[in-house]
Amino acid sequence: MTRITIDPITRLEGHGKIEIFLDPAGEVERTYFQVPELRGFEQFCVGRPVEEMPVLVNRICGVCPEAHHMAAAKAADAVYHVDPPRPAKLLRELLYSAFYVADHTTHFYALSGPDFVVGPDAPVAERNLLGVLKKVGSDAGGRVIETRRRCHRVVEIIGGRAIHPCTSVPGGLTKGITAEERAEIEETARRMIDFGAFSLQLFDDLILGNPGYVEMITGPMYQHETYSMGLVDGAGKVNFYDGRVRIVGPDGALHGEYAPADYREWIAERVEPWTYLKFPYLRKVGWDGFTDGAASGVYSATPLSRLNVADGMATPNAQAAFERFYETLAPGPGAGPGGKRMVHGRLAMHWARLVELTYAAERMLELVSDPEITSDRVRAVPTERPTEGVGTVEAPRGTLTHHYWTDERGILTKVNLVVGTTNNYAPIAMSVERAARSLIHGGEVVGEGLLNRIEMAFRAYDPCFGCATHSLPGQMPLEVVIRDAAGGVVDVRRQFC
Amino acid sequence: MSVGSSADRSAVTPVPTGVTLVVGLGNPLLADDGVGWRVVEAVRGRLAGDPALTADPAFADVELDHLAVGGLSLMERLVGYRRAILVDAMVTGEHPPGTVRRFSIADIPGREATHLDSAHDASLAVALAAGRSLGADLPAEIAIVAVEAVRVDEFAEVLTPAVAAAIPAAVEVVLAAIGETVG
Repeated sequence: MTRITIDPITRLEGHGKIEIFLDPAGEVERTYFQVPELRGFEQFCVGRPVEEMPVLVNRICGVCPEAHHMAAAKAADAVYHVDPPRPAKLLRELLYSAFYVADHTTHFYALSGPDFVVGPDAPVAERNLLGVLKKVGSDAGGRVIETRRRCHRVVEIIGGRAIHPCTSVPGGLTKGITAEERAEIEETARRMIDFGAFSLQLFDDLILGNPGYVEMITGPMYQHETYSMGLVDGAGKVNFYDGRVRIVGPDGALHGEYAPADYREWIAERVEPWTYLKFPYLRKVGWDGFTDGAASGVYSATPLSRLNVADGMATPNAQAAFERFYETLAPGPGAGPGGKRMVHGRLAMHWARLVELTYAAERMLELVSDPEITSDRVRAVPTERPTEGVGTVEAPRGTLTHHYWTDERGILTKVNLVVGTTNNYAPIAMSVERAARSLIHGGEVVGEGLLNRIEMAFRAYDPCFGCATHSLPGQMPLEVVIRDAAGGVVDVRRQFC
Repeated sequence: MSVGSSADRSAVTPVPTGVTLVVGLGNPLLADDGVGWRVVEAVRGRLAGDPALTADPAFADVELDHLAVGGLSLMERLVGYRRAILVDAMVTGEHPPGTVRRFSIADIPGREATHLDSAHDASLAVALAAGRSLGADLPAEIAIVAVEAVRVDEFAEVLTPAVAAAIPAAVEVVLAAIGETVG
């Protein structure tokens, strides 16, 4: 059997790689996808007070500390059976919305941009943020940097520190915000709404205006008709901070909707002999291998799947963008929530992020305009005996669940995390395999785009493997080694190595 | 980001800051990955406890910090300084554990230091070029001091012995870098 190995992680030998096995005819038989995973976090936490978790989990990774902070805060609330006062919830969601704007902005301009704004076949040296800025101009670049700075400032105001917030405690927050801080956040929210509109327009002009890109988004290479998962509010609209988990089938039919604390009744984990990663799947559907369709329990939890499960968006500009998204990519009535058809092209995720960015910005303005936002009633002091609790938020990379068990003093006895990317391990493996199948025939790599096309499969999910990828470079080094049936190397291709 | 918080300031124009910024990079919960933080803490101790150093003008305007981020966030933190010294773990597998090496950002060989880049936005080199293209005032000199690490993928708050033993040597390299004339 011919084996092709793609090793994307040059510094962590033996941890992360893609192996592509060809059949005797030289067609892709199977790909194996292995990534580094941090070990021992759950054990590291056991024995610590649960109220330390919102700060401790910030340090799991440098990519979405705010998401871990929020999930931990909500899990700690649940452990102590305490419901934070309304102003505390508003402030937490406001912080979280600002984080979303910054995170989606960064992903779109620094990671999607090189593929869509610069182009997937552009020279490697130009396929980066700098190339994007050259194309879109320094005004747009300045707005990207301003967006990051302003949103990090909102996190700092509410969370006490930029990037690694520290103010959430069981029952709420350690502090509120002043009227002056409120005014600054309101100004930021207004600018972010403008920036959302600007980014959607940019997507229209540069991507939807290019038939080649539209074909890439809607074509077969990155299509997987899996189940979709996401949090929705009481009206069935997308919500990042709270709500019920809704799952819909590949055709859009409702599979189920449940309180996050019941996640184990719905989600099971598949263990494969070739990796230490566990692949979550829908318990009530069952595991049918790395395959899509209604009979396979594989599901996705991504920006795209959040839109797929929702009836719509809770704010006007985002709702308009949502409608345009489905009218463009899946016109006509369907069986999905709100009577829409599902979108399954993974590259549509990049557009979905901009719809979500717009919602997050508009939600910021709603929250910061609430009369209670400057209230000092930001904490309900826990009085009940701590036991067990689940906290779930939508992380940018998928539904994030923290589950803690403590003794009667609130000391952790067990911790279970289902992180955003974990939900998507099986779909990511499927996307990589699909890309390989499209580009390798007769034992040879067809065309020059293999490495970037496989990278694009990764990048759409913005995966955060084991929350470890802070140690990986922005431009993923890829090495493809093509071996003949006897194991000899016939070709080696590299980029960024 | 710690700079430029007022509402009408242009996106990347900094509040005037110090001359030299020393940043420990890494995750302090991931064993040897936290060596950058430990080295910077040790530098802080040396600066506080050594009057001869604090009398040296080169040490008069030095700021110390820790970060667990790379790429754009790291670039943004560097805005406004004349020079930066980044202290990081490296996992090359080519040097004995605890080996201390110093690079310039200009000649860093590939990606040896662990935390300069981010898989979720940009490499530091691209982030710096992007920042400069937008008019950001970024350091002309960026030195990288890296310590060869052993265990970086397992949660623990202690360093492995060879890496812990390298801290004094790394501190000397950082102090020597600070003591050099600012260009």
